[in-house]
Formats: sequence, structure tokens, C-alpha cells
Amino acid sequence: MRSAAVPLCLLLVVANPSVRPVAAQPAPGLVVQVAAEPPGLDLTATPASATAGVVFYNIQECLVKVDRHGKIVPWLAERWHTSDNRNYTFFLKRGVRFHNGRELKAPDVKFVFERAMNPETKHPYPGYYAAIGDIIVKDDYTVTFALKSLNANFLLNLARQGSVIYPKEAVETLKSAPVGTGPFRFGEWGRGDRIVLGRNADYHVKGLPKVERVTFRFIADPNAALAALKAGDVDASLFGLGPEHVTDLQKDPRFTVIVGDTTNDVILAMNNARKPFTDVRVRRAVTHAVDKPEVLKGAMFGMGRILGSNVDPLNPYFVDLAGAVPHDPGKARKLLAEAGYPNGFDAVLRVSPQYQYTVRSGEIIVGQLQKVGVRVRIEQIEWGQWLSRVWKDADYDVTIIGHAEAWDISNYANPKYYYQYDSPRFQELFQKSEVTLDDKARRDLYVQMQRLLVADAPAVWLFMHPRLAVARKGVQGIWKDLPLPASDLSEVSAGR
Amino acid sequence: MRGYVLRRLVAFVVTLACVSVLVFVAIRVLPGDPVLVMAGPEANPEVVARLRAAMGLDRPLLVQYGEWLGRALRGDLGVSLQYDVPVGRLIVSRLPVTLPLTAMAALFMLVVALPLGLYAATHARRPGDYLAMIVAQIGLAVPSFWAGLLLILLFSVHLGWFRSGGFEGWTQGVRVGVRSLLLPAIALGLFQAAVLIRATRAALLEVLGEDYVRTARAKGVWEGLVVVKHAFRNALIPVVTVAGLQLGQLIAGSIILESVFALPGLGRLALGAITARDLPVVQGVTLFVASCIVAINFAVDVSYALLDPRIRYD
Repeated sequence: MRSAAVPLCLLLVVANPSVRPVAAQPAPGLVVQVAAEPPGLDLTATPASATAGVVFYNIQECLVKVDRHGKIVPWLAERWHTSDNRNYTFFLKRGVRFHNGRELKAPDVKFVFERAMNPETKHPYPGYYAAIGDIIVKDDYTVTFALKSLNANFLLNLARQGSVIYPKEAVETLKSAPVGTGPFRFGEWGRGDRIVLGRNADYHVKGLPKVERVTFRFIADPNAALAALKAGDVDASLFGLGPEHVTDLQKDPRFTVIVGDTTNDVILAMNNARKPFTDVRVRRAVTHAVDKPEVLKGAMFGMGRILGSNVDPLNPYFVDLAGAVPHDPGKARKLLAEAGYPNGFDAVLRVSPQYQYTVRSGEIIVGQLQKVGVRVRIEQIEWGQWLSRVWKDADYDVTIIGHAEAWDISNYANPKYYYQYDSPRFQELFQKSEVTLDDKARRDLYVQMQRLLVADAPAVWLFMHPRLAVARKGVQGIWKDLPLPASDLSEVSAGR
Repeated sequence: MRGYVLRRLVAFVVTLACVSVLVFVAIRVLPGDPVLVMAGPEANPEVVARLRAAMGLDRPLLVQYGEWLGRALRGDLGVSLQYDVPVGRLIVSRLPVTLPLTAMAALFMLVVALPLGLYAATHARRPGDYLAMIVAQIGLAVPSFWAGLLLILLFSVHLGWFRSGGFEGWTQGVRVGVRSLLLPAIALGLFQAAVLIRATRAALLEVLGEDYVRTARAKGVWEGLVVVKHAFRNALIPVVTVAGLQLGQLIAGSIILESVFALPGLGRLALGAITARDLPVVQGVTLFVASCIVAINFAVDVSYALLDPRIRYD
């Protein structure tokens, strides 16, 4: 047995408790954990939220910004002006420098948007700029966007991740070493491991950023992320921990748990083009059969908010319709009988274990639907398969997924989208809302759309997936809510 | 011997060719479109079509395979769809993690298993043997990812001796690198060590029962010499066979441990590439790993001749 002591000795010698772990020394910066590594760092080429999580608002910024409260505020443009909602003139902030030292000027803005509108550049969201007719540089600090048609979301689209401003001489390196005007400069990318950003000393907002360096560490396994937090190897976990990990940390005085709102609506989508879900009575019956508070409690430990329609609570036009279709198994059975299914029916629920909350929600919902006679079998498929079979080919009965994009009610106006929901009335309301600029009138349209969705029940809106972040005590300034998929760390301090 | 080596080399090339076809076909018949995974659920059909053309995935399968094989033979494994970096460079950049990790796990396995197996065999059916077998049983029963998490809990979270994961790189010194890899190497080597303890014990017990061992003992040879010189060397052939196979399993097992310890190694590269349907990387890594395993098996076969001159290969 003597030999067993060898590895233990080796362990003790190499470990040498007198040498403290790196994280126990005063940190020169902030180390944050995220679950997914970006597939590239070019926001004008990929829609990936993992890319936005690192680059957006940290390395690159837009003319206007959605702040932590969801409000659109001037940013690289210190103000804007429009008299007719067709011509928007932006006045650039003076003295803003790119990380390569050159000053940001109006021709840069023109270049960026003309490049985004050019089909050759493969911008992921060309539709955001479809309304732009011309971009006129008036002087170095003044640029006017002339719109071909009214666009109610124009300013919002300029604040989105695809609208970041970068210097034209840095186009070639956008994917691997992006340059921008943000509070942090790109440092290094240890692929598979980390991305390091350094402080931008010339940042145009005085006093920011508050840390010298930010390191994003990619730890996909939630248990490993939890261990890294507890061992002090990371200062904060921004994405990846589930509610089951967070409840434990809420009791731990060393950590602050941030539970906030997001734009991520988790839905039970039904294939509106496939029987029996073609019948609105069946879809309503399914909605009545689902006990949403029980789903939220079981799948998310009660964290998140129950939804009644497809507008998230961070949206200014949000109407709380959570109680519009109450849990009522009796009514569900009655509706099913009316639709010709007195003994229920069989269906398959396709979910991807990549997102654990979808599987957990599914397991609870299967039990609830069973009580009204709907026999659902869960089929777990890998994420690539889900995208291909469910999302692209609409080959499914029911599925559960979170839709993270803000203002994604537009999906219901697309009859080819995987919901296969085809309502001319809804499409008309949506088109109208896109060109209605009066806030009150637009709000009315959004209220009508939300109520119409409740009535047509193309999906069951389950809950808003909460923002779950954990930081060690002393780390301050992390955004509580996520009105856009960004992790703005400019105001975060890493005090001990 | 030369003929044998030549035959093994031909088998090596044929195996790799089969692997290349298998990998190429398997990754493409799998449901799940790499373009959709890259573009994400919010992308519109035009973006998806443009991306598909840019990735060359709109061409016939045979054309894609032919091009890939032609380039691979020239040492060009293509460019990662995810990182936009040559696959060969990606693989090389991950070797400083995976190779030392596997080597350390193998060392751990040998250092633990050979002495314990030897001890158990020479103390068969005595308390020490039972204790060794209990240790082996625990090693077999504990999955490596769980062992990894327990090690992190003890040595990182509670004692604070090691980092919970990540790799600081070798540029900061050998000591820092070894520290980063020690816990995952132990977790990785534990199961294989348990297997090897049992294999060593069984092989040695069989040899210790042979007539020539009894003869050696009857001659009055010192027991230590009987065990090490007469018995152990002859017991090594099955042990080396098992250990060789285990080396391959250690490389495969690193996929899970690299995830648990957030190490930027080859296993994690492969896992991420499969999830993202990064076809060139999946193909490149699988070919590389398959080559390593075939090479290890080749080395094991050759080592038989060195261990046992009776073995004739021609």
C-alpha cells in the first residue's frame, strides 16, 4: 500500500498550500464566466448572442444605446433630430476615438451602414436597414439618414448589435480582433478558454470603465462554473447557471444573486398547420390545461414571470395578460370534446436538452396535459436537429423553446415561421404598427396584437426566462435586467 | 519483422482511410444542419442560403469529400467554420493541454496500478489484497466527471490549493502547467488505474502459479527476485495490451474531463465542434485522434517482441 502514498505526495508537493491560488490575490481586473464561446467576434456577420455577450457595448457601440432600463439614449451621437420621421439627423459626439487612435467621424457612420445594406457583406439583419434610402454626410460630425418609408423601429434598430460602428480600416479583423469605440479594447482570445479585454484609457465617457481588464472565461458545465465561483476563480457568472444552482448561492453570504427580467419568452409552440392544432379550440384547450405557476415552480424554482402573450415585460407596450386564460382542466376537456376529441389525442413534444428548462417544463406539461386526455410523448433531440427539423422544416406537433430576441412579435406575422400561424388580421395589425409613429396609436396596435394572440392561441406563452447572474460580494454595477442580449461591463467595479 | 511493420503500416493507412469516410458520412447523415446551427434561429432564409454557399455545403457530397481528402493529403485540413482559423493550427494549439493531460493520467495510472496490482497478487486473499480490490472497485464505480467534481470540491473550493479549472499555459512555467492539469489527470486516470490494478493482479496470479516459479522458489531464489524477474516480466504482455488500449481510452476520456475542468484541449474542441456542426474541425480532430490510437496500437504490437522473444511475427 506504500505506493498509494506516491500520488498523494505528488499532489501535496505540487499543490504546496503556501502558494495561494491566483484568484486569492488582489485581482487586476474582473473575471466573468459565460457558458458559450462566441463563434466569431464580428457582430456584422453573426447573430449569435454569445458574440454580443462579449463584444456588444464592451468593444463596440452604436449611435444610440438601449440603457439598462430599456430606454434608447444618445451615445456616439450626442443627439438626434427629426421633423418628419423620414429624415433623421445625428450629431456625433466630438473626440470619440476608435481603439486604433483615429477619431470617429460621420463618413465612418455612412460606411458602416452602407456596408450593412450591401447584400454582399452577409449582414445577419439586412431587414433592419431596409427603410434607409440615403445616408448624407453633412460635415465631419453630422450625418442624415433619409428613409424611404416610415419605420417605427428605426432608432431601436440603430441600437441593436448589428449596428455597431467600427473603422473601415479594421473590417478584415472584425471576426478575430474587433476594433471599436467601446470601454474595452480587444486583448487576446485563447480559443476554447478565454477572451481578455483591456481598459480603453481614451474612452469617451469619463470615469469609465472601472476595471483595468475583463476576462471572459468559457465554462459550459454549470457545475464547473459553480465550483469556479466558489473557489474564487471567477468574480461573476453572467450566463449558464440554472435556478437549481442559484437557490444555493442565495443563502451564501459571499455572493450576490441577481434575478432580473429579460426579453426571453419561453413558449409551448404548437404546429398550427398540423392536425389537431389547426383547430383553435384545441389550441385553447391546451392553453387551459397548462398550469403555468406549477411549470414555473417546477422548472425554474419559481424564478421568472408568467406570460400571457408574446410581449416581454421589458417592452414598453407590454400588457400583463398572464391571467387571461386561466388554468381550467374542465374547460379544456369541454373544448376538446367540442373540437371532436372527447377522448383526447396523441402528440409528440420535441425539445432540445441543450436548454434544460425546456425539458423540465416539458416533463411537467406532459403530466398536466395527460389530465385532460392529451397524451404527449417527449422526444429529446440535439440542438442541431431541433433547428433543422422543428425550426426550419416545421416538422413537429409541439415544442418548447425560449425566444430571446426583443420585439419578436413579428414572428407571428410570418405565416412561414415554424408556428405556421397564418392570421391576415394579425399581419395587418403588425404592418400597421411598423409604420405608426404616434406612441399612443402604436401602443393601441400592440395591445390589439397581444389580445388577438391570446384569442387565437397559436402558442402557450409560459414564462419569461429570468436573468440569473451571480457575483461575489464587492462586484457592483452588473445590469439587473437585460433589455438586449448584451453584457455591458463598463460600469462594473470589482471591489474586494 | 520488417514484413510485419510493413503490414502494420498498410493497415494503418487503410484504417485511416476508413475512418475518414466514416467520419465524413456520419457527420453529414446526422440530422442537424451546420448552417442553421451557425446562423441561429432568428436568421432569415436568405442569410442561411448565403452562408450555405459560403461554406461550400451546397455542392454534391462526393465533390466535398474528394476536395477534403485531396487537401488533407497535402496536410491541409481546412478552415474552422466557427473560428475562421486553419484546423491544423487549432489542433496544434490544443495539444499542449491534451497530450500532457493524457501523459499525466497515464503516469498516474501506471504509478498506482502496477504496484497495487503487484501487491494484491503477492498478498492474494489476504487483507491487503482485499483492500487493494476495494480501492479498484471504487475506482471502477466512480465516473470520471464525478471524481473530477469531488476533487474540485476538496482541493479547490475547500482547501484552495488548486484552481477549479482553466489552463494558465506553459509559458508561465512547468509548475503552473502541471498544477492546472494535475486534478483532471487524476480524475481521468482513476478509472483506468482501477482496470489496470485488476488486470495486473490477474495476470501475475496466473504466472505465480506456473511450474517455473515454483522451481525458482525451490532453488531458494529470493522472493522479491522471483516476483519481479521471473513472474512480473512474463505477466507484462496482457498488462501492456490492456495499458495500450487504455491510452486510447484516456484520449477519448479527456473530452469529458476537459469540459469539467474547462481546459482548452482537443476533447473540448471536438465537443464544441460537434455541437456547432463545425465539420472541418470534427473531421480533423477525429482523424488526428484515430491516427494517435492506431499509432499507439502499433507501438504496443512492436513492444510484444521486445518483451517476449518467443513471439514471431513473420
